[in-house]
Amino acid sequence: MKYLPLVWGALRRRPGRTLLTLLSVTTAFFLFGALQGFNVGINSALELTNVAHLVVMSRVSLNAPMPLAHAAKIASVPGVTAVTPINVVFGTYQRPTNIEVVLGVDLPALMKVSSELYVPPEQLAAYQRTRTGIIVGKSLARKEGWKIGDRIPIHAINAAKRDGTSDWVFDIVGIYDVPHHTEFAARIWANYDYINESLASGKNTAIQFYVGVKDARHSAQVAQAIDDLFANSPDQTVTQNEKEFFQTLMRQIGDIGFLVNAIVGAVFFTLLFLTANTMAQSVRERIPELAVLKTLGFTDAGVQWMVLAEALLLSIVAALLGLALAELVLPAVSSSLASQGIGAMHVPRPVFAAGLCLAVLLALVSGLPPAARARRLQIATALSGR
Amino acid sequence: MAEVVSLKNVVKRYTRGKQQVEVLHGLDLSIEGGEFVALMGPSGSGKTTLLNLIGGLDRADSGEVVVAGERLDQLSSAELARWRARHVGFVFQFYNLLPVLSAERNVEVPLLLTKLSRAQRRQNVRAALELVGLADRARHKPAELSGGQQQRVAIARALIADPTLLVCDEPTGDLDRENAEEILKLLEILNRTQGKTIIMVTHDPLAAAHASRRLHVDKGRLSTQEERSAA
Repeated sequence: MKYLPLVWGALRRRPGRTLLTLLSVTTAFFLFGALQGFNVGINSALELTNVAHLVVMSRVSLNAPMPLAHAAKIASVPGVTAVTPINVVFGTYQRPTNIEVVLGVDLPALMKVSSELYVPPEQLAAYQRTRTGIIVGKSLARKEGWKIGDRIPIHAINAAKRDGTSDWVFDIVGIYDVPHHTEFAARIWANYDYINESLASGKNTAIQFYVGVKDARHSAQVAQAIDDLFANSPDQTVTQNEKEFFQTLMRQIGDIGFLVNAIVGAVFFTLLFLTANTMAQSVRERIPELAVLKTLGFTDAGVQWMVLAEALLLSIVAALLGLALAELVLPAVSSSLASQGIGAMHVPRPVFAAGLCLAVLLALVSGLPPAARARRLQIATALSGR
Repeated sequence: MAEVVSLKNVVKRYTRGKQQVEVLHGLDLSIEGGEFVALMGPSGSGKTTLLNLIGGLDRADSGEVVVAGERLDQLSSAELARWRARHVGFVFQFYNLLPVLSAERNVEVPLLLTKLSRAQRRQNVRAALELVGLADRARHKPAELSGGQQQRVAIARALIADPTLLVCDEPTGDLDRENAEEILKLLEILNRTQGKTIIMVTHDPLAAAHASRRLHVDKGRLSTQEERSAA
């Protein structure tokens, strides 16, 4: 600790350069923490998926409509407990940047499929009574400041109405929760029939069917049976369990794990050159000062450690700042991504530990060459400027 | 007084390009404790090289260098560093203070290598700065001090660990006459009152006049010696 003023003094020698390097390393570690946090969010969402829940999509694409008539046929497949068609109004609320996704479903059927979804009976009854009624997730209601009785106008991007407008009005009749995982209670469930009847085109279609299976162990066979059912129809299907479906969705973004590693790897590789250059420059400028330290009795190893300590201090402080910033920012990002099915994001402890190890490694790799140079420094030569 | 510096048949060579240049040719020297010695001579005569060998900043290629009772040519690099910390205080022409540290922090640096507590270090630093008349400038950075003041801080740093000898390389070379005279008087006082052995390289005959003995180095050999007549 008594050498800290010397180490700190060396970093303060060029405050601008130190600050810029600190910011670069902080940004890299922020990215590292944030991307790992994003991964955590995806994985926590994956953990909550249920293989006993099947999602039926069109073989053509994720968003291609299928005939509503598929629902009755799917319900007849042995092992299926419940089916709900899903249609979507995708639009903005109040601001063009505030996107809301309204899913038209058969809510009682959906509740049979997803037993974890809890809606109080009186609210379910109100939903069934009210054509424009919607049940809103607790975390979304909290975010938007919504309460039961509010009327929500949504300006649709994908669904024009029969009256020629794209403005949909929904009435909040209930708030649902996913016990222990409120962050996932971020959807808007509307009446399938209301959306279906109001659409200008694409009536009696669904972009997905959500299917409950009696026995999770047989979900693969049930999925296969559903797809076989439509194998010779013009509207072939792809049926996956919820976990596979979520993974397919994520694959549309890309291989998240690979992306995270590739981005972080590229950033740190670049950063290595930056910090190595900064350290080398810093030592080069301080050759006479380091020679003075040796003159005063600091050993070669002592001076080497002093230079390494500078790199370590800079790197570790920046890593802590970056990771702390990621931890601060992630909850805000989490809440905005909850409606996309991505779980709570945070920087897990092992990522903090890995980040600190990475910071030490970065400091050692970038600091060792200049530190070795400082160690080899010949006092008489350095002081004479040769 | 006991012998503090003893050089016998010392040879020092430098490699310049592909050439080996012999700077000191079998030099012998003896300095007793409490002496104030001025090393004089033209540029390139080898006086700074000689000073570096005495201060343990460089090693002789052959010969024997004994300073403060230690054979410097037989010490490892780490042992030599520890020996320097214990026995030698250095004063340079361009002060060589660490620019980011305040005067008191600069003076404290050699004490970081000791086992003294922070409070003891601070107390010693205060005493050293008072000795050189700069107690009121303790918190100033080197850039906020005049050349003379910076050299005083450097002297306080050289003295702080109570070394056996002070090694000064052109300590007044960067100062005006008035400041140079003040620094030389300070060195003289340290020599007289504290009995510090001082070895000073200088070009300046007026500076050398403050020393008790003047040694002339020419072409890598000691040419003449002059004792100062008693005032």
